[in-house]
Amino acid sequence: MVQIFDVSVFFIVFRETLEASVVISVMLAFIKQGVGKSADDPTISKKLVRHVWVGSAIGFAICLVIGGTFIAVWYTLGTDAWGASEDIWEGVLSIVAAIIISVIGLAMLRLNKMKEKWRVKLSKALDDSTLHGKGRFRRFSRKYAMGILPFITILREGIEAIVFVGGVALSSPAKAFPLPVVCGLIAGGGIGFIMYKGGDIMKIQYFLIVATCFLYIVASGLFSKAVWFLENYQWSKAVGGDVAEEGDGPGSYDIRKSVWHVNCCNGQTSGGWMIFNAIFGWQNSATYGSVLAYNLYWVTLMVAVMLMIFQEKHGYYPFLKSWTEKRKAAKLAKKEKKQLESMSQESDSRDGDSETKEVSVTVV
Amino acid sequence: MRAFSLLAALAVSATASLAATVQYDFSVEWVQANPDGAYDRSFIGINGAWPPPPIECDIHDRVIINVTNNLGNEPTAIHFHGLFMNGTNSMDGPVWVTQCPVPPGSNIIYNFTVDQPGTYWYHSHFSGQYPDGFRAPFIVYDREEPFTYDVDTYLTVSDYYHDSIPWLSANKFLILTNPTGAEPIPDAGLFNDSQNIKFKVEPNKTYKIRIINMGALVSQYIWFEDHDFQIVEVDGIYVEPAEASMIYITVAQRYTILLTTKNSTDKNYPMIASFDTDMMDTLPEDLVWNVTGWLTYDENGDFPEPALIDEYDFYDDFNLVPHEKEEPYEPDYSITVDVSMQNLGDGVNYAFFNDLSYVAPNVPALYTVMSSGNDSTDATIYGSNTHTYVLGYQEVVEIVLNNFDPGKHPFHLHGHVFQVIERSDASPDDETFLIYNPDEPGTINEYPMRRDTVYVRPNGYFVLRFVSNNPGVWFFHCHIEWHLQQGLALTLVEAPAEIQAQQVIPDDHYAACKAGGYGFEGNAAGNTVNLFDLSGENLQPKPLPAGFTARGIVALVFSCISAFVGMGFITWYGLSDLKTTEREVAAIVGEPLDDSDESK
Repeated sequence: MVQIFDVSVFFIVFRETLEASVVISVMLAFIKQGVGKSADDPTISKKLVRHVWVGSAIGFAICLVIGGTFIAVWYTLGTDAWGASEDIWEGVLSIVAAIIISVIGLAMLRLNKMKEKWRVKLSKALDDSTLHGKGRFRRFSRKYAMGILPFITILREGIEAIVFVGGVALSSPAKAFPLPVVCGLIAGGGIGFIMYKGGDIMKIQYFLIVATCFLYIVASGLFSKAVWFLENYQWSKAVGGDVAEEGDGPGSYDIRKSVWHVNCCNGQTSGGWMIFNAIFGWQNSATYGSVLAYNLYWVTLMVAVMLMIFQEKHGYYPFLKSWTEKRKAAKLAKKEKKQLESMSQESDSRDGDSETKEVSVTVV
Repeated sequence: MRAFSLLAALAVSATASLAATVQYDFSVEWVQANPDGAYDRSFIGINGAWPPPPIECDIHDRVIINVTNNLGNEPTAIHFHGLFMNGTNSMDGPVWVTQCPVPPGSNIIYNFTVDQPGTYWYHSHFSGQYPDGFRAPFIVYDREEPFTYDVDTYLTVSDYYHDSIPWLSANKFLILTNPTGAEPIPDAGLFNDSQNIKFKVEPNKTYKIRIINMGALVSQYIWFEDHDFQIVEVDGIYVEPAEASMIYITVAQRYTILLTTKNSTDKNYPMIASFDTDMMDTLPEDLVWNVTGWLTYDENGDFPEPALIDEYDFYDDFNLVPHEKEEPYEPDYSITVDVSMQNLGDGVNYAFFNDLSYVAPNVPALYTVMSSGNDSTDATIYGSNTHTYVLGYQEVVEIVLNNFDPGKHPFHLHGHVFQVIERSDASPDDETFLIYNPDEPGTINEYPMRRDTVYVRPNGYFVLRFVSNNPGVWFFHCHIEWHLQQGLALTLVEAPAEIQAQQVIPDDHYAACKAGGYGFEGNAAGNTVNLFDLSGENLQPKPLPAGFTARGIVALVFSCISAFVGMGFITWYGLSDLKTTEREVAAIVGEPLDDSDESK
């Protein structure tokens, strides 16, 4: 049985695909809920969906290229080229993904109530013209936000999968690979699809809340794992070996930094626990850093939520009342000035047109 | 005239029957040397010279060594490896077993008789000190040996570390970033504390070569190209001459061989000592693990490079037959120990006999014997971590050792030679362990081989038997210095009542203790009042926490609570009212407020 179906390969591919497809399907569901139903503007939602898929496809393609190259190099050199820096790579990418998910996630919860805002904002983004913000990169990333997140996610998950599979490959014959890889892809993609479809049936806001909770569970796990990877890198350097491959026993972790350690249930290598690791950030060997990061993440999130609710109730953030009102007044003054100018331009440009138009100027 | 001849006759008879006293004064000091041509480093030498001088005496001589520690920064002690020290257990040398460490500036006198012929060596027995150079041969000449030869000489082999052992131990070895307990790799091998030696030989002569391995870690394969030889003595025990072309000698072992040189002087022949590379964790690329010399027939001739060989075809010492044959003893008392290496709570890898890793007591065990009266037969007073067994007098003691480690280990028993009853092969793979089963014995020779240092094979076992006819406290330990530091040792208190009755500790030994501020009476904790109160004794580190400790459970629960509360906040946010939102939206988007819904 092991000869044609390597279970670890299946779980690795399943877990990575699950993580990626969860994020993508939630994003697709957001697009469907927020844009499709309310504004009935199929072009915008189709564009966003295409962004998501294009971002995913690009990420997947790059994965194939990078992963394929590394696998080729690995097989010819016979060494695990990733071994030394894999932890740093994992750590940095995890932080980036965690931050992106965190920032976008809460905003998504206002999706249902601000359908107009989203419609306008997205159509503005897609049709270019007046864009706020400084810098080309910021414009680019806001414009293609829906494409960038799946791109990064697919890239990270795919490379992780290839590296882990490469590491596992040492003990398995080549023919044990294709079947579990395909099964893992189907299983992971299938669950994401069900999640996506399920969004249609549930009451929209409750779905969004649950989906957002799930996303933040994943993000908090990612953040905790990022810190864990960086600490694991330090430990690997100190010991001078590939500690992940040393198994779960003593010596595979730094006793000085350990909060708990069980000689089983390894989130990097052990079947069902890898799913736990993917979703909750579970580690069989937790450090002070990873535990604190996890809790700090949630605390930060709670503070952010409180701040945002306060802001929404009162129109300003705490302690920033006068600053906010001054800014608002300045913005409005600027806008009125612009409108007056454009109006005078219009009237100047119109020649011999006796029609008087009633121009309504709304002043708040 | 007659007086003169009478005197002459007296003198002749005197030299024939009177044992001499051999006296040495040793000033133990740091000396610079460079045995492998790499660079000068500090060695522990004697009287300003390194290597230390060999000690030589005749059988039945008395040996007196006055040792002064002029190292300045380290204590020291000397063990005379293989000598029984019958009646003078205090002269055996291991610190915390038979004496205190001798602090810098102090001195100690070793005074004992030697009633056994053969090849021995002396070395420091303080905490990993001897590989820093404090070791040399101890030769006991015997005019009545059962073989003949032309020249009596010795040849030492050793591994060599460029760095000092205390530094390696503290920075590379006994640390938590070395969780597998990988022993530091030696930097070179030495023949007679040198390299590329030219061992001058004349043709058609029989050389008795006493080979001693004075290293810290590696066993060595030794052979002389195109020359076979006969093994005639091991560890002080004469054996029936055994033809061999290669020996496998572990650290601390000795083999004496008779090598007959060739007829002609036209060629020089390489002699090689090759590391047993199985014993090293890694093989650095720049390590030369063979050390070469030459049987030099012609000093002006060529010195050819040694030929490569396909395999190590060495003589298995288990098959040696002692010259004085004994049948296997029947045991009266049996000790079974399982050898393993595990990590303790400080993350460091330690070595265990059963579940105990040896930790030295605060008072040398022999001094505990001397100060414990009738309680000396109770093993408790010697400490919880010294792994002490109390043996009766004139009993046959059996040691069964099962090796649960995939490495080879040379074990040495002080104060005795033992019969090697059985030694298993290595197990076929890493997951299998061969364990001694007395009901299904393996190969037992008719006349078992005897020696004082013998190795066990990976995942295998051996069985030793000896007679407890030598009252004293005797150490039994792996002679790989690294493993001794990891605690692979146990203590045998043999016939403590007889020790009290028959032996005396010299005053200068106690003086060395006092000079160092060390305990010299009482139990292992230094308690002289209640010998069964061991509070304050030295113990091994706590074990690694198994699974979730209180800290882990708190962390996990707290994290789960954080997550649930966090999700609660998200839900609150998702459900919260947003009266001001549309105003906010308009401000951001820059469009007029959409009043059409309300007003129109």
